[in-house]
Amino acid sequence: MSPRIVVAGYDARGTGAAAAVAREMADSIGGAVDVVVLVPSAIPGTVEAFVEEAGLAGRAERVVAYELPPGHAYSGVTVADALVDAAAGNDVSAVVLADGPFAREAAARTAVRLDGACASMCSTVEAVAGNLVSVTRPAYGGVALAHLTLKASPAVVVLAPGGASAGTATGGAAPAVERKALTVSEVAGRVTVLDETPVVKTCDLEHAKVVVSVGRGFAKPADLEIIDDLVGLLDAEVGCSRPIAEDFKWLAKEHLVGLTGATVTPDLYLALGISGQVQHLAGIKGAKIVAAVNSDGRSPILKNADYALVGDLYKVVPALTEHLRKRKANGGAGG
Amino acid sequence: MRIIVCAKHVFDSTEVRFNEDTKELLTVNVPVKISDYDRNALEAAVALKEAGDDVTVEVIMSGGQAALKTLKEAVAMGADKGYLLEGGWETAFDPMLSMRVLARAIEAIGGADLVLCGLVSEDGYNGLTPPAVAELLGVPYLAPVVNLSADDDTVTATMDLGDVLQTVRAPFPCVLGIDSSMNVPRLPTVLQVMKVKSDRVATLSLEDLGLPATALATEFSTVTLDRLESGAAPRKALIIEGSPEEAVPSLVTALEREGVLA
Ligand SMILES: Cc1cc2nc3c(=O)[nH]c(=O)nc-3n(C[C@H](O)[C@H](O)[C@H](O)COP(=O)(O)OP(=O)(O)OC[C@H]3O[C@@H](n4cnc5c(N)ncnc54)[C@H](O)[C@@H]3O)c2cc1C
Repeated sequence: MSPRIVVAGYDARGTGAAAAVAREMADSIGGAVDVVVLVPSAIPGTVEAFVEEAGLAGRAERVVAYELPPGHAYSGVTVADALVDAAAGNDVSAVVLADGPFAREAAARTAVRLDGACASMCSTVEAVAGNLVSVTRPAYGGVALAHLTLKASPAVVVLAPGGASAGTATGGAAPAVERKALTVSEVAGRVTVLDETPVVKTCDLEHAKVVVSVGRGFAKPADLEIIDDLVGLLDAEVGCSRPIAEDFKWLAKEHLVGLTGATVTPDLYLALGISGQVQHLAGIKGAKIVAAVNSDGRSPILKNADYALVGDLYKVVPALTEHLRKRKANGGAGG
Repeated sequence: MRIIVCAKHVFDSTEVRFNEDTKELLTVNVPVKISDYDRNALEAAVALKEAGDDVTVEVIMSGGQAALKTLKEAVAMGADKGYLLEGGWETAFDPMLSMRVLARAIEAIGGADLVLCGLVSEDGYNGLTPPAVAELLGVPYLAPVVNLSADDDTVTATMDLGDVLQTVRAPFPCVLGIDSSMNVPRLPTVLQVMKVKSDRVATLSLEDLGLPATALATEFSTVTLDRLESGAAPRKALIIEGSPEEAVPSLVTALEREGVLA
């Protein structure tokens, strides 16, 4: 029986990214990829449309669409129920989940039920000999990167948030779609949903090309206004460090960048008055270029930026804004 | 209502450094503390105690003898009793191991209506141990909790699922993962910590839990740490000198050359 990698994600994007990782693992051990989806709650359209959107052709051999019984929704328990069912009777070497709502609960429950090992925030995942899986993930908030071997099988891994990109679909054979009624664990029925309030997002850090991020170098909330024109000129989204969002609450939590907040992958990340502690840096590893303005010549951000300007942000921000305004008036790049 | 809070004794993660030469974490003289989010879990538990009648809060602290002061700090936040778990098995990377010890410890002290945990730990940041405990105990797991209330036999919690705030109700028992944005943990004074009498702290040995240390290291261990490398992303680290008037044009030129300015 050939080894299998079982995949789950909250949405098409995550599922596609997890399937891409699983494909590489499966290829290296001569295995196959099964993708688990829950219908109807996780999928707005048809399963076929989901398979298309997630780019599963060439990545998965089989998609199992589990039909949720009435009254049940996508949850940590129901996803675990589906993963465990898909694993039953197969030689499963790994379960790969995209991070997202309920992912870590689903992973933990699956690992307990299958008597496996479990890790989250994995930036690399590889299948190695003898059903072992090796991963890299942060230690101590990102101070170090740990190389781990998950020796209990199956290895249940949750990918790093925002880290895995789905890449471009490789094409290839469409997976076989199988439909199955999901048998839901009793414990799922104990939770009653009373209310769901959509969170109205005012920023989209994850997809931003430019992020201007503010830290404790700003003395008071009103001072944040000095970045407004800069943000407009750069067509940027606004990020911030933890004190700004959580301690002072000058900006909503959705602006928080770092371990506790968003993982961003812009072309340019401009850190203003941010010291560059590892927990903040954890969220900007995927930025192409990091530029920083900091008044302290010994601040850790200087070593962790590509370009750093040592100076008072209250002077640098207006000068930078003015320079970019003139540049724009002169016709932009190279002007 | 009986509440158990699971808490972890850790090095202050903002002060831990990595030694490039020895490939080790530098923890000598680094301050120790209650893991960040566990303080939010303790605060949430104490707030429930203050809001209700007949609520007890007990803390299970991992970290062994070295964690005694950390446990007293946790108790001083307003818990009734603290349990110090025998040390030697702790791990940042093996949630399946931590989960076994914690679930046994919870059972050993009589179980709870609500088990409150920090959403993630400061050293491992896995967020897997609390839901694994819930699975082993066969109960619901609610997380990341940003709002919480309880009556005699049910809990109502609001979870921040990113694009939606979902409020749910569940009967006891339940495991909850508390988010750092839920509250601002109180800081006990030195005097309050000193006043935690020894009869409010007890020790739980691994033997008591039926988990001999040797078995933990062998049959219950699911992960090995092969090596560590620096977590820093490689960056150019170029400092642009001069007054703002001089430095700003240089910065803009550099960014244009990188192709990151539209
Ligand atoms: C478990 C855990 C998780 C965490 N998660 C996150 C996270 O997700 N995101 C996050 O950001 N943090 C996180 N933190 C907190 C993190 O460790 C730092 O405390 C935080 O990032 C510091 O924010 P800051 O850089 O704004 O403030 P500070 O460290 O105080 O730095 C302020 C900087 O501004 C500079 N400055 C001051 N005045 C000026 C001026 N006039 N002009 C220019 N520069 C000036 C100073 O030199 C200094 O470098 C976490 C911590 C823990 C323990």
